[in-house]
Amino acid sequence: MAGDADVKRRIKSVENTRQITRTMELVATSKLKKATDRVYSARPYADALQEIVGGLYSPALSEKYPILRRPDEVKRAAVLLLTANRGLCGGFNSNLIKQARNLLEDLRGQGIEAELHIAGKKAVAYFRFRGEEISTETVDVGDSPTGDDAEAIIAPVRARFENGDVDAVYLISSKFKSAMSTPPYTRDLLPITGDENASSADVYILSPSGDMILERILPAYIRNAVYTALVENAAAEQGARRSAMKSATDNAGDVLEHLTRTYNRARQAQITQEIAEIVGGSAALE
Amino acid sequence: MASLNVRVVSPIKIVFEGEASAVVAPAWDGQVGILPGHAPMLSLIGSGEVTVDRPGGGSDTFHVAGGVLKVERDTVTLLTEYAGDEAPADIPANTVVLAEDVE
Repeated sequence: MAGDADVKRRIKSVENTRQITRTMELVATSKLKKATDRVYSARPYADALQEIVGGLYSPALSEKYPILRRPDEVKRAAVLLLTANRGLCGGFNSNLIKQARNLLEDLRGQGIEAELHIAGKKAVAYFRFRGEEISTETVDVGDSPTGDDAEAIIAPVRARFENGDVDAVYLISSKFKSAMSTPPYTRDLLPITGDENASSADVYILSPSGDMILERILPAYIRNAVYTALVENAAAEQGARRSAMKSATDNAGDVLEHLTRTYNRARQAQITQEIAEIVGGSAALE
Repeated sequence: MASLNVRVVSPIKIVFEGEASAVVAPAWDGQVGILPGHAPMLSLIGSGEVTVDRPGGGSDTFHVAGGVLKVERDTVTLLTEYAGDEAPADIPANTVVLAEDVE
């Protein structure tokens, strides 16, 4: 029967696909573990840094340091979008890209010029295809991002803010709530918003001085914000990939079951028919 | 006797967390020693060795490079760009504060 061979071939092909998706699921699971560890070990530093910077901020300082300036009016904004370099991770990249598109439209709707800075091949490919101008792009961040990666991404953006070329910087990345929940979110990176009421500058002995400490700590603070986002993004990517590959593996299983049933039914029908022919043939001879 | 609650944190991990009777850290302008009851302080960190004396005797030593030290209510938080058992091979850029930087 001609259909038999076709079904058999398809079964083989789906089995191969399932093998591949299952392997990718396992790889993502093991990478997710490491990436999650990195997320959790990066948090104490980020939290403590946040506390110190928030406590030291005072409006008077913003006159002195360009990085602390708070423009009265936002004329031009930079959007920094972090995506993955690779696909096959469900809606991960497209969710981030959608978030960026909405933000760009939103800003432009308010009459604010918006420029786009991207880290991640997927978003670069997408926005280049759409003919969007990309101010800076970074595509060499691996599975385990480093502080240097973060610095390379943020340095040009920070410089533009300090020079007054842009008045606000937004960072779009995935928040790593859990392996299953990694919603894209937008963070206002610059201007820095300190908690003025919590200013602890009066209480502390500041050595050498509040100004000096801020001057050293602020670049580290901004860089660390990007580093944290990169690390969370990497973990979120693996989580999304694991879910996507798990459902692909499950789907392949369903398809296989269906195909196997079709194959068996066809074979059964053929056997029944052969028996009927033999019985019919011998009946004719009698 | 009162003791200090010490945390040494780098961007990638918590290097040390625990009780201590005294901490000696490399501040931007020289070594700074902290005992329980120290006034609230924020100080820049240079690079060098941090020594944490344990309440039961003995001490732990790490190398750090750059960052900031915060003391508040017997809690010492040392945030550093680099922390490890070995001195850093290459000191991260923009982290070492030298005395001559400060007027």
